[in-house]
Amino acid sequence: MAAHRPRIVGFCCERHGMDAVVLAARSGKTHDASVRLVQVPCSGRVDGLHILKALEDGADAVVVLGCLEKNCYYDTGSIEGRKRVAYVKSMLKEAGVEPERVEMFNAASTNAWAFPEMVSKMADVVKRLGPLGSGGEER
Amino acid sequence: MKCNIQVVICECCVSKPALLDIPALQKIASEAGNVTSVIIADAVCDGENLSGVMKEAREKEVDRAIVLACHKRDVDPSLFKAYARAGVPANLIEIVNLREEVVLPGAAEPERAQAKAEAKLNAAVARVRMLEPLEKDTEEMRTRNIVIIGAGVAGQAAAEVAARSGAHTIMIEKTGKSLKSPGVLMPHTTVIDGKGYGGNFTLRIKAGEKVEDLDCAAVIVATGGGWATLKGPLAKACKDAIPLFKLHEKLESDTTPAGPVVIVDTPDPSGKNVKVQDFAWEESLETAARLKKAKPDTDVWIVFQEMRAFGLSELAYKEAAELGVRFVRYDKPAPPKIDPKEPTKLTVKDSAQAEVISINFGTLVFASIPANADNARIADALRIPMSPEGGVRRGSMQRWPVSTPRPGVFVCGSALFPKSRAVAEAEGTAAGELAAEFVKKGEIEFGGIIAKVEQEKCSACLTCVRTCPYEAPFIGEAGKIEIKAQLCQGCGMCAGICPSKAIELLNYTDDQLGTEARTLLGGDF
Amino acid sequence: MTAAKALVDKGANVVLVEKSESLGGMARGLTCKGLAECRNCGVCFAIDRANDMMRDANAEVLLISEVVSIEKEDGGFRVKIKTSPRYVTDDCTGCGKCVEVCPVEGKAVFPPTGSGQPRIHRIDRTKCLHFKRGACDKCASVCPTKAIDYEDRATNVTRKVSSVVYATGIEAIDAKDVSRLGGGRLEDVVSSVDAERILNDKGRLVRPSDGKAPKRVAMLQCVGSRSVRAGVEYCSKFCCKYGTKIAQMMLDTDPEINLDFYFMDLRTLYEPQDEFKAWAKGKKTVKLIRSMPAAVSRRDDGKLLVKVAGETDLEIHENEYDLVILSVGMRPKGADTELAKALGITADAYGFAQATDALRDSGVFLAGAVSEPMDIEETAIKAIATASKVASGKEAAR
Repeated sequence: MAAHRPRIVGFCCERHGMDAVVLAARSGKTHDASVRLVQVPCSGRVDGLHILKALEDGADAVVVLGCLEKNCYYDTGSIEGRKRVAYVKSMLKEAGVEPERVEMFNAASTNAWAFPEMVSKMADVVKRLGPLGSGGEER
Repeated sequence: MKCNIQVVICECCVSKPALLDIPALQKIASEAGNVTSVIIADAVCDGENLSGVMKEAREKEVDRAIVLACHKRDVDPSLFKAYARAGVPANLIEIVNLREEVVLPGAAEPERAQAKAEAKLNAAVARVRMLEPLEKDTEEMRTRNIVIIGAGVAGQAAAEVAARSGAHTIMIEKTGKSLKSPGVLMPHTTVIDGKGYGGNFTLRIKAGEKVEDLDCAAVIVATGGGWATLKGPLAKACKDAIPLFKLHEKLESDTTPAGPVVIVDTPDPSGKNVKVQDFAWEESLETAARLKKAKPDTDVWIVFQEMRAFGLSELAYKEAAELGVRFVRYDKPAPPKIDPKEPTKLTVKDSAQAEVISINFGTLVFASIPANADNARIADALRIPMSPEGGVRRGSMQRWPVSTPRPGVFVCGSALFPKSRAVAEAEGTAAGELAAEFVKKGEIEFGGIIAKVEQEKCSACLTCVRTCPYEAPFIGEAGKIEIKAQLCQGCGMCAGICPSKAIELLNYTDDQLGTEARTLLGGDF
Repeated sequence: MTAAKALVDKGANVVLVEKSESLGGMARGLTCKGLAECRNCGVCFAIDRANDMMRDANAEVLLISEVVSIEKEDGGFRVKIKTSPRYVTDDCTGCGKCVEVCPVEGKAVFPPTGSGQPRIHRIDRTKCLHFKRGACDKCASVCPTKAIDYEDRATNVTRKVSSVVYATGIEAIDAKDVSRLGGGRLEDVVSSVDAERILNDKGRLVRPSDGKAPKRVAMLQCVGSRSVRAGVEYCSKFCCKYGTKIAQMMLDTDPEINLDFYFMDLRTLYEPQDEFKAWAKGKKTVKLIRSMPAAVSRRDDGKLLVKVAGETDLEIHENEYDLVILSVGMRPKGADTELAKALGITADAYGFAQATDALRDSGVFLAGAVSEPMDIEETAIKAIATASKVASGKEAAR
C-alpha cells in the first residue's frame, strides 16, 4: 500500500510570503510537492472559514504564510492571520481534531530556508497524524 | 456575463528544466469551459511573441487571461499594458507561478510535479471564471500644498527640497520663531485635528487664537523632540540643569558655563520617562571637546550608562578623552543621585572602579530629551501610529523610510525618536523628496481591489473599524458600514474578520478563494 | 540601488554599474534576523530594492561591470563601461547542479551570493578547465536548462550621463587579519559574515567542523574596529545591531544554547539602549560580559578557549566554547581608486570618501557607507536625499 501523500493547501501572501517561496526556489532548494498555494493580498485576508472549508474539502493540513510581524506591508496583517489560525486551532481542539494540522508561518524576502522548512514540517505532521479524520484510511 | 479566457503557457518559465508535460497542460486548458484560446509562447513578456498573443486575444474576443509563468512581480509590465490595450483589465489576468512553485523545487519529487501543475491550472481557470472586471477611480488633488509640521532642522530641510521640486510648502511652527523659508511659515500655529486622505487632506489648525481649515495634498511630520522638557529625578533635584542644546547655544554665543560642567546622559536613569537614544552621543562628545578646547581649565565630566559613540563620532570620543574630558560609566542599578539638599553635588558609582565618587558641579547638563508631548495629538489628527517611547512610528520596512502606513503622510527627524542634527536633516530631505513626488502626480488613484460591504448583513459591530489600520470602514448614514475607497488599501483584513460575513474583498471573495482551494485539493497529489 | 530607484521614480534613466555578479551590496550576504517578528535589520529592504532594479525598464543594470574611463563632456560625463562575461545565461534557475559536478578544487562555477539578484550562477574563467585547457564541459552537460554559455564575451558600452552617483560601499574586515582571535586559523571561529551565510542557508547556526549545533557560543564584538592596532579607529556603527540580532535569532532557533556576548559598549542602533540587556536578562543562558578577549585558542579535546580579563576581578579567565563568532567591522572601499580620483573624489585617512560642495557642483554625488559608517536604513534615507540633490543639480536627462 503506497504511503499517503499529504494534501496540504496554503494561503500565501503575495508580498514577502511569495518572495520567500521564490527565493527558496531560486537558491536551488527543493521540497516535496505536498503544499499547494492560494495567493492572497495579505495573510490577514484569511478567514477561519477558509481554513475550515479547506479541511472539509480534502486538506489534511492548512498553512497560512505571511510577512514577519511588524514588517507586514499592511502593518497588522500577519498578526491578524496568526489570530485567525489560533482561533481555528482552538475550535479544532474542541472538535477533537489535532490542532497541529493548522499552522501559521512568517517569512521575509531574504529567508531562503523558511518555505522549504515549512513544507517539510507540515508534511511530517501529516505523515505522523495520518489523513484527516480517518485515522490512516487511504483516499 | 462574457467570459472568454486565454491561457498562455510561457515556455521559458515552465519548461526549463523540462519537468512538465506541456502538451498535457495545453490539452487540459483547451478542453476547459470558457477557454477560447490556448497559446504556448517563449518568453511571453519579452516583447517579440507578445504581439502574436495579443492578435489572437483580439480575434477570440478574450476578456480575461491566465498566464502559466513565474512570480507576478517578475512579469514585465509590458504584458499587462498590452493586455489592457487588447481589452483585458489587470485584475482579470491571473499569473500562475508554475516556475517557482512547481518546476524549480520539483526536482525533489519530479513525478508529482505534473499533477500539481495541472491542479494549479484547473484552479486558475475556476477562479478566473468567477472574477468580475474592476476599474480604478481617480480624484484630483484640490491643492498641491505640502504642510510641514515643525520648522526645526528636519522640517526646514524638507521644505527646501519640496520647494526645489516646485511644490508649495506651508510650515506650521508652534513657537514664534522666524526664519527664511521657501514657502509660507505660520508661527504660533498648531494642528488640532485632521481628516481626509493622501492627496486631499483637510487639517484643522489653530493660528494664534484663530481656528481655521487648511487643505493640503501631503503632510510631513517634523515635530522634533521634547527639547525643553526635562523630566526625571535628577531634573527634579537640580532645577538649574540645562538640556544639551542650551550648552551648545552658550558656546555659540561665547558664554562660559560655570565649571565643573557635568553632562549626564539622562535626567531619568531608570528609563521610565526618558529613554537614552542615539542622539546624545555625537552631540555630547563634540560639545564637550569644543568646551575643553575653548576653556582648558574647566573640568568637564560625562556620566553615562553606555558610550554610544557611533561611527565617526568614536573619533570625537578619542579626542575628548585626549583633551581631558573625564568619563564615568554607571550601571542602571546604581544610578547617579543628587540630594535635593545639596543640589550641586552628583554622586555616582563608577562601575569601572567600583567606587562611589562625588562631583561638585557648576553646570549640570542632560543629554537626552523625551519625545515631543505634541506627538500624540498630531498622530491622532493624522491617524498614524505611535511608538511605545512616545515618538511617531514609521511604516514597516517594506514601505519606504520616513513614510507612514498612510499614503501622503511622512515623518522625519526627532519626531520618530531623538537623533543628531545631521541625520535629522537627511531624513527631512528624504521626506521632502518623497512628498514632492507624491503631490506631483496631481491626482490620486484608488479603487479596484478594495473591500465592499453588503449592508443588509452588516450588524454594525465595528469589528472592521477596529481592525483596519487605514480607517477605511466607517458608519454611513444608514447606520451600516461603508468603505471609503480612497483609504482602502486592499488587504482584506476586514473581510477576514467580519463576524457577519458582510464584507468581501473584490477579486478575493470567499467564493473565489474557496473555489480555488477546493480545486487545488482535487485530483492526484 | 535606493538612489537609483528614487531617480527612476522621478522619471530619470539610470545606468547601474555593479562590479560583482549580483545586486545587493553588503546586504546580499545577510539574512532576515526575525523568526516570527521583524527585528528591523533592514536586509529585506536592500533585497527588495535589488529586485526593483532588475525589474524596472528605466534602469539599465550592468553586472560584472566596471567603469573603464570617464570624461567630462558637454556639461556631463562620457562613461566607458566594460562588462565581463558571466558564461551563464538568464535561463539559469539557480539549481546548483553545475557546482556539484565541477571538478576544479575550490570550484570554478559559483552560485548567486546570498540573496543577491539576479539568481544566476557564474563561471570564473581563470579557474575553469574549459578555458584553461579546452577540455571539460561537465557543467554544460548537466545543466537542466542549458544555461551554460562558453561563448559569452566581454562587451564595452559607452553612456553619456548628466550625473554620477558613487556608491562603492564597504567590505567586511577580514577575520584572517585577526588571527590572534582564531580568524582564518581555527575552523570553528567564524566571522559574523560567515555566521550570516550559515544562517541564510540553514536557518540555524551550525559548526563548520562537524555541522552540529553548538551548545556554547561566544560572540566577540568590535573585532577590527575601534582599534588603533588595526588602524580602524572609528566605530563601524552597525555591528552591535547586527551582532545582537544574530544573538537573538540564535536563541529563537535554539532556546537551550549558551551565549556569552563580549563587548565594550552596546551600540544597538535605533533601539533604546536597554532593550538588548532586558532581553538578555530574560534568557537564562545569555550573559553580557563587558570585556574584550585577548586571544582564542583550541584545546586538545577540540574546545575553543577564549582568554579574557574578568569584568570586575581583573583575573585572566579561559572560557570554553564550541563556536566563536567574531563580529567584524567594516572598511569603505573604492574611494581611493584611479576612477575615484578621476571623478575628483578624495578619501580621508580611513578611506572614507569626502563629500564636498565642489564635488557636488561637478555633478558627482556620494551615496552609502563609502562616505561614513551607516547601516541599511540610514543608507536608504541618505540615498533618497542624494537622489534629490542629483535631480535638482542637472536637467534630468540621462
